[in-house]
Amino acid sequence: MSHKMSQPPSLLNKWIQENNELVNKWKQPEKGRDTVRQDHNQPHLKWCSYEFHKLLGIIQGIPPNSDYTQLELAVVYNAGVCATAQAQFSEAELFLTQAAERVLQVTGGETGASDPLVCWRAVLKSVENTHLHPSVLYLVCLQWAIWLATCQLKTIQEFQEEMPSLFETLCGGVGDGAISEARSKSSNIPLMVMDPRRLIELLQICTSIALGAERLTEGQSSEALTGLQAASSLPAPRALVGYTHLLSGSCLTHMRRPQMALQCYRKALETDSRCVCALYQSMLIYRQLGNTQAEIQALRLLHSTLMLPSATDPALASTHLLSPSSLLCSQSLSSLLSVPSALSVLHSLALKCLLCGRVSEGVEHYLDLLAVLHSEDQQGLHTQDATIPRLPELYLEAGAALLMARRPADCLALCSEVISTTLELLPEKVVLEEPEERREAETRDTEGENRVAMVLWTAAAYLLQGHCHSHLKDWKQAVTHYTRCINLLVKVRLKKRDFQPQFSSADMDVQRGKDLCVLQKLKGLSLAGRGISFTQTDKLKEALRDLQLSLQAFPGIFLCTYRNLSLALCWTQQSSATEYRNLVLPSQPGDKKRMPCHLMNRINFLHPVKRNPLSQQTWINRESKLEHVLRVHSV
Amino acid sequence: AMEGRCAVETWTEFGFLGTSTTPKVRFGTDVFICTGNDEVYVFSTHERKLKASNCFSVKDDLPLCCVSFSLNMTFHSCRAQSSSPDSSSIPAELKISEFLVIEADGVSSLLLVGTVLLTLSQRDSSWLMTLYKTPEQTESSSYEVLGSFSLPLVSAVVQADTESKTSVLICLHCGDTAPLTLPHGHFCLEPVLFKLLFGVEAALAKSPVILCGLPDGRLCFLPLRLPGARLRVLHSIEQPVVFVGASVVTETGPGHSQCLVAMGEQGRVVLIKTEKGRSEDGSSLAGFTEGIVSGPVQCGCLDRNCLYYSTGSDLLLLDLSEGSSGKESKERVEETSRKTLQSPTSLNVSRVVALAEPTSNTSVQLLGLSVRGQLQRISLPARRKDAGLSKLPSAQVGRSIRDLLSAIGDVCERSSVLKTAIKSKNQILRHLNQVVNISFLLTATNNTEDDPAIKEKPIRCHAMTSWSRLLQKDCLNLTCVLDNSSPFVLERGWTLSVTVFPLCCSSTAGEEISSANFSFPFQNLNSGETLEVLLPIAAAGDSSFPMTVNCSLIFSLSSLLGEQEAASSNISLPLNTLTVDWLNALQLNSPTARHKMVTFQPGSITTDPIQAFISSRQIRCSGRADRGAESGSRPEKYSASVRVSSELLKDSLVLKNSNLDPKISLSSLTVHACGPNGATVKLTAKKVGIVFSDELEVQVESSSMTAVCGLHHAVLSRIQVQTHTHTVRLNTIFREVQQNQISGALGVGMTAGQMNPGLLSVYQELRQNPLLII
Repeated sequence: MSHKMSQPPSLLNKWIQENNELVNKWKQPEKGRDTVRQDHNQPHLKWCSYEFHKLLGIIQGIPPNSDYTQLELAVVYNAGVCATAQAQFSEAELFLTQAAERVLQVTGGETGASDPLVCWRAVLKSVENTHLHPSVLYLVCLQWAIWLATCQLKTIQEFQEEMPSLFETLCGGVGDGAISEARSKSSNIPLMVMDPRRLIELLQICTSIALGAERLTEGQSSEALTGLQAASSLPAPRALVGYTHLLSGSCLTHMRRPQMALQCYRKALETDSRCVCALYQSMLIYRQLGNTQAEIQALRLLHSTLMLPSATDPALASTHLLSPSSLLCSQSLSSLLSVPSALSVLHSLALKCLLCGRVSEGVEHYLDLLAVLHSEDQQGLHTQDATIPRLPELYLEAGAALLMARRPADCLALCSEVISTTLELLPEKVVLEEPEERREAETRDTEGENRVAMVLWTAAAYLLQGHCHSHLKDWKQAVTHYTRCINLLVKVRLKKRDFQPQFSSADMDVQRGKDLCVLQKLKGLSLAGRGISFTQTDKLKEALRDLQLSLQAFPGIFLCTYRNLSLALCWTQQSSATEYRNLVLPSQPGDKKRMPCHLMNRINFLHPVKRNPLSQQTWINRESKLEHVLRVHSV
Repeated sequence: AMEGRCAVETWTEFGFLGTSTTPKVRFGTDVFICTGNDEVYVFSTHERKLKASNCFSVKDDLPLCCVSFSLNMTFHSCRAQSSSPDSSSIPAELKISEFLVIEADGVSSLLLVGTVLLTLSQRDSSWLMTLYKTPEQTESSSYEVLGSFSLPLVSAVVQADTESKTSVLICLHCGDTAPLTLPHGHFCLEPVLFKLLFGVEAALAKSPVILCGLPDGRLCFLPLRLPGARLRVLHSIEQPVVFVGASVVTETGPGHSQCLVAMGEQGRVVLIKTEKGRSEDGSSLAGFTEGIVSGPVQCGCLDRNCLYYSTGSDLLLLDLSEGSSGKESKERVEETSRKTLQSPTSLNVSRVVALAEPTSNTSVQLLGLSVRGQLQRISLPARRKDAGLSKLPSAQVGRSIRDLLSAIGDVCERSSVLKTAIKSKNQILRHLNQVVNISFLLTATNNTEDDPAIKEKPIRCHAMTSWSRLLQKDCLNLTCVLDNSSPFVLERGWTLSVTVFPLCCSSTAGEEISSANFSFPFQNLNSGETLEVLLPIAAAGDSSFPMTVNCSLIFSLSSLLGEQEAASSNISLPLNTLTVDWLNALQLNSPTARHKMVTFQPGSITTDPIQAFISSRQIRCSGRADRGAESGSRPEKYSASVRVSSELLKDSLVLKNSNLDPKISLSSLTVHACGPNGATVKLTAKKVGIVFSDELEVQVESSSMTAVCGLHHAVLSRIQVQTHTHTVRLNTIFREVQQNQISGALGVGMTAGQMNPGLLSVYQELRQNPLLII
């Protein structure tokens, strides 16, 4: 290098010094910036990028000259890295192609190749065995980074295949010598904003991850797995190694090896404790395996991890200029890495606890959920995932949970809140149309839907209130609320009479079928509830009528009620739940997940007399009558 | 429906007349006014005085939206300060926490809701609403982003012609959950309307809803505290939204607004109200009543049941109530079913650019800011109880028609005045453009002075001298010709200024420097045209030659812009400098030669005595004239000579002059002439081909020392001495000679004995070794 200095010493030195000052200026605030978030750097980065660009313009103002080429390539690298870090890829690529052309002009290579692959091959060939070789390799790395950031995986693969030896040289830590040499007399050597070796390391693992994700979404799980497992041993930041394990786990899940997948997820978590996606995926596998306890545990962990302040920071915050997140931006990867919001996880947790009988725990989670929703603190609310049920349904679920936890007063309060919100807006009548026809009348979609939903929400709230009152043995109030529920429900007209909820299978129109199903079930439950309340107030005739109507509305309910009545004496809470599972669930259309929670375990509230020996007697008496009547009717 | 006129009381004046941007105003008990640059005023409506101004400086390059942002910050910090015990009012010096500014481009409006700061900004393809969490203490400057919501832009049809990117942001609270006191831009909406517009979920979550009016006419809303909420479009009025607000409309109720009002720039108004039992199933619906009033709407405000808006030329009132309370309900239903707006009433207040809702309960009062920067209180006349749709008496109708007609006349007059103003402004602009072009042309050539080849300016002066006799006195006139060979027209406002002063002005002399300045204003000089002016430069007997003639063009802006706007600004553009030397000032004795003589700037000679003389020399280059006072035998005669190669003479003088007048030729090689000081001089040229065959000797003889010196100098300057040293030396000597003359007895025919002997010796030495220039 020193022999070059003799000829144009002042200019070259001046430019090198300018470059190095810029690099140092960039690196200086970087040190004290660990706590500050990435986006605060943007103005500084913009400034640096601009300055490098300016310097490059000055240097490229003179015709290509071998004395300056090394400096020029370093500045191109710096300017290119800054541009890439700001996602100005076309600008960065322009720098690269210009630099390549100028190198070819100096070395006398063949210019004019438009294809970047061809061009780079020519450039590399022309600088072989010269001191420029490492500098050109750095630029190739930058090109690689741009391809990766713009998801041109095909080009990278082509590049990899076409020049395997080069790729190896690139990956094998080229330029180590040059750099260590440079360190000794740094004033004469142009500095770089980002260590090329770090860049190569980053590129290698990020390419593996992106390729793995791509293959995985294309269904080539085993190929993806091989690549990812190889990549997991590369030197890289923890978060990226965690990603390789995580994606390996996803491959194994695809290959139906859940236990091995779990192993991978655990490795991912061990590598990077903030890898929430691994937790989420594990939870999904536990759910798939039916391991409820583990699923709840995973959900709880997931929620607490998401609530940590660090979880909101980008997991891939880096000290380097080019962050891994900017290199990993493919659609398939981000969909693989997506995790529901903390709020949605909390809801799943609450619901899961409730469904598997851990009622008090579930209630706590529901209360937490409502507290978050009403807190002034906006943290975590502004996510756009719609996995959470709509707010009134959430209230009703929470109400049901409270009732199950024997807190009817709280449940009443929640329900009355829902009712007060919707009451003024309830229509006089509402038409629930058949799915096929609904599709044509898309225009009134939201409004019509909202009105049906509003009626159903209010009705369910009345039903729950009825349950609360019957739980409190206030039979008169119970009858009032059940009646309100029924009155509301009869306002819903079905457009097609013969439409049967049982056959509105999942793929037709889920929402509408669900609405219809909920409607029928609400009818059945409210009628049955009122029937039972009537039995308590010795209005057996009315009781009989209601129970019969309940049978018509929803046979499953009746069956349950019927059994309940006949077996009420010896039922415990557990057995009623079992009964419910055995009897009600199979009779429901579709899977149980589609059913709103607040309508599911309603059966638990329909055994108000089991601890009362006195009324047991009355139950028995009435049961025989009822049974008689019902038999007559069913004949 | 109004009786009488509005009383307008001007409280204060801010004087930001002529700013192109609309000032940002925040009304309240304290009015904040931002004039668009770096000044923010705070005016207390209680004390009716200006509390603070210029409270903070905003950098020049920050766009206006940032200023409005800062304005909002003002509020923010005010709130923080008012919590301290002693500050019942805002401190005079507002402390603005240093740039809390979020790095966001194109923020068009913002709003503070609790601890959340919202900004609305336009991106390439979408509108972006960003939520920031304001820090607890104002000292900390980090605004954490809570989330952002985007809404795609509609196709650029409406977008293209709306340059104003202002948007409106308000916050609506559901009636029963609203906080007790609402800050500016917050409204409390009646619950049923709230639920109908924004959904049950927003009401259940007790979430405030942000409503924004966009320049493309869309009204969008966002429930702030609802998980999974999106920015959704409520309605579109298809013109830039100027104003969104909520009004009570009906007189009953606990103050929940029952009507949402949005107003567009071109005067479209939409009222959004609950309509009970209007749908087929008997439930309530949100009713949208649209109407159009005449625009352009600049600002608006609402009170309990009226919408006030300003079109710039007038302030108008639109009654939103559905008829008066005394009407039957049946009629009322009919009226609503018609879905029409009442027609607006003029309040006859013009030039209001910002309005605030009334502050007083007893009578209706508005706060307005006029375009002249006046903060006004506008008190409306009391409304008549039986007003409304009742018929006016015919006399009143006639009066109102007269009023209208006169108003139309006023507007016509105003518009015609504006039109002429625009026209003249355009003309001035075009004129200025020419001036700038010319200035550029002349100054650009100025910069290349080193190179004489480019030195020639496209606009320059030539000059010719001529003797004339006036009142028995000879005087030398200079005919100066301004030649416009540039492609531009020199229009009205230009003045040719000619300054004549002696080349060698003696600073030591007690006399004033006798410079004369002549100005010739002219009307129009088209491209290729010339302007000829005649000016006297010297009378006979005046010997202060050579003289320098400086020509310049002066443009006075005041003639163009009027006096008060450009009082002292003149543009002066130097053209070129001419020299009138002894040769030009010679009066030839030969009666035939007593004609016009032409002077030139060196190098562009046409005809003059020396030229004529030289050309004659070339024809008959024989003979030898008497040597003058060389030996001192004739002490009253002085002479000087220059030896020069005839080639150089030709090169430097003759050849550059292609349009040499052939008629002018002298009969002899000797010229007798009379100098400006009256001395007779003799010019002789002869061939002295000893060393070089072409060598010529030019000799000047006269009894006047001054004349010899002057002519010698003139001859030398004419031949453009390449080596400057000789000229410089000669100049010094010449100056010394002249100074001596001036300091001593000034006169003709001064003898050698009276002169400084040292100087004489120098001069003699110089004379005896004639400069040989090849």
